[in-house]
Amino acid sequence: MKLRKTLTSCLQFRRMSPPRLISKPHKLLDKILWIIPLASFFVIWEAVVRLGLLSVHAAPPPSKVVIVLLHCLGDFTFLSKVLHSFLNLTVGIFVALFIAAPLAICTGLKNRVDLTLTPTVMICGSLPDLALLPLFVYWFGPGSVAAILMAAICAFFPIYFTIREGVKEIPADYFDVSMVFKASKFDVLRKIVLPATFPNAVTGLRLAFDFVWEIVLAIEIIARVTGIGWLINFSVESGSIELAFAGIMAIGIIALTVDRLVFGTLEEKVRRWT
Amino acid sequence: MVLHMELLNVTKVYPSRSMETHVLRDITFNIHEGEFLCIVGPTGCGKSTLLKIIAGLEKPTSGLVKFQGEAVTEPHPKISMVFQSFALFPWRTVLQNIEFGLEVQGVPKKERREIAMEFVEMVNLKGYEHAYPKHLSGGMKQRVGIARALATDPEIVLMDEAFSAIDEFTAHTLRKEVTEIWLKTKKTFVLVTHNLEEAIELADRILVLTSTPGRVKSLVNVTLRRPRRRGTSNFLKVHRQIFRLLKEELEQSLGHHHLALHHPNLHHVGHSNYFSF
Repeated sequence: MKLRKTLTSCLQFRRMSPPRLISKPHKLLDKILWIIPLASFFVIWEAVVRLGLLSVHAAPPPSKVVIVLLHCLGDFTFLSKVLHSFLNLTVGIFVALFIAAPLAICTGLKNRVDLTLTPTVMICGSLPDLALLPLFVYWFGPGSVAAILMAAICAFFPIYFTIREGVKEIPADYFDVSMVFKASKFDVLRKIVLPATFPNAVTGLRLAFDFVWEIVLAIEIIARVTGIGWLINFSVESGSIELAFAGIMAIGIIALTVDRLVFGTLEEKVRRWT
Repeated sequence: MVLHMELLNVTKVYPSRSMETHVLRDITFNIHEGEFLCIVGPTGCGKSTLLKIIAGLEKPTSGLVKFQGEAVTEPHPKISMVFQSFALFPWRTVLQNIEFGLEVQGVPKKERREIAMEFVEMVNLKGYEHAYPKHLSGGMKQRVGIARALATDPEIVLMDEAFSAIDEFTAHTLRKEVTEIWLKTKKTFVLVTHNLEEAIELADRILVLTSTPGRVKSLVNVTLRRPRRRGTSNFLKVHRQIFRLLKEELEQSLGHHHLALHHPNLHHVGHSNYFSF
């Protein structure tokens, strides 16, 4: 239920049109505005540590973390760990997409299928994913298989519910149009259902991408599956806090890059017509 | 005129929990080839349902719809439709929307593009062919809807309240253009509307339906010369004639639901400040 609430609020957020500016928007300025709070955060952090308000051992200054991170970029182990996590996560999301999307389209189109399946899906979705973690590690061993499956389960629900919502919202007239022109079932799917739900699918994937990081890191930290989470945990345990921070920063950079490049581009595409 | 489409005793019943609702009862009339037929009737008389049955989108509970002598049980490639809500696909440009019918009917890309461009010009949307529907006004959207309906070269174009969701000024222009298209293409047009002036302006014949359940009240021939202008004495004469028919229906249905007027909620509304001058 909580998940559903988050989803609906996210969907509503997407539907809100961007604020209309009376003056012509400053293109470049608007594009870099987001840097200001982020930069201030790092400056304050740096200052707090430099002024001795926080111990260097507890939290190294960001400048130092950046240097460590730059060093790490040439380090094969570090890169392979990051890549490992990222692959587990991406494969997990795709597995979820390939199961959730067809299922959501079925339940979205056929009310009877929806009434049959969705309550069960909702119950499963409201269970905490973490509860399954030890079981999956027990069944599949502490490796990529368990990580990918956990990621897939976590990604399944946001993708399923957003796409189902999208299919249900397709106006009945669209189907009448397809019938008037005698479109085949396949054409209805390809030329109406899929494009009509595309915006929702993008939202679902974006939510899934945010949710899945948590579970992938959790399995790496708790079950010691190899990946960036494992590296952060290991660094903290062995006392190299800078490395742990470098790992966290790497995750942040990846998340931001994917968000801007992949989802930003997809949403730009959707915004042309919505 | 050549007999084009026949409706024989078309009845539509919707089953509901407590009782069956008769939407249409024993509708029998013909549609002639090349005519402009308008269907008018009080709200909720099943006009739109009737149009959907003609389109093959809905099946009559009993009765028969025949097109060129053959029973219509599903949409026919020669029967096309324009929707009140426009029903354009927002992810398709104007041109792609117009192409939709041809596309699903397997017309090669180059050919359907040429045909679509032809219709872009016919509905005066040149310059907008690559715009998305969100950038179009209501009137322009309906032009796309009309072009899409015409692009598959139908013999009958069904229009469900096609001008109702457009502001009156634009609708006025669009009706003129539709008349021109109708005269030029010589296709059969069937328009469902609740706007009586609109029906008189456009129609060769007007089918007046009774209130629920919809039956054929009258089929009125409109012999006014075109282009028709509202406000001329002949126009008003036809208007009065049909208005009387509709008023009869309205009064009858009010009499029928006489009890509803004494419903406490309605009573309350009747005494609210909005109604006391």
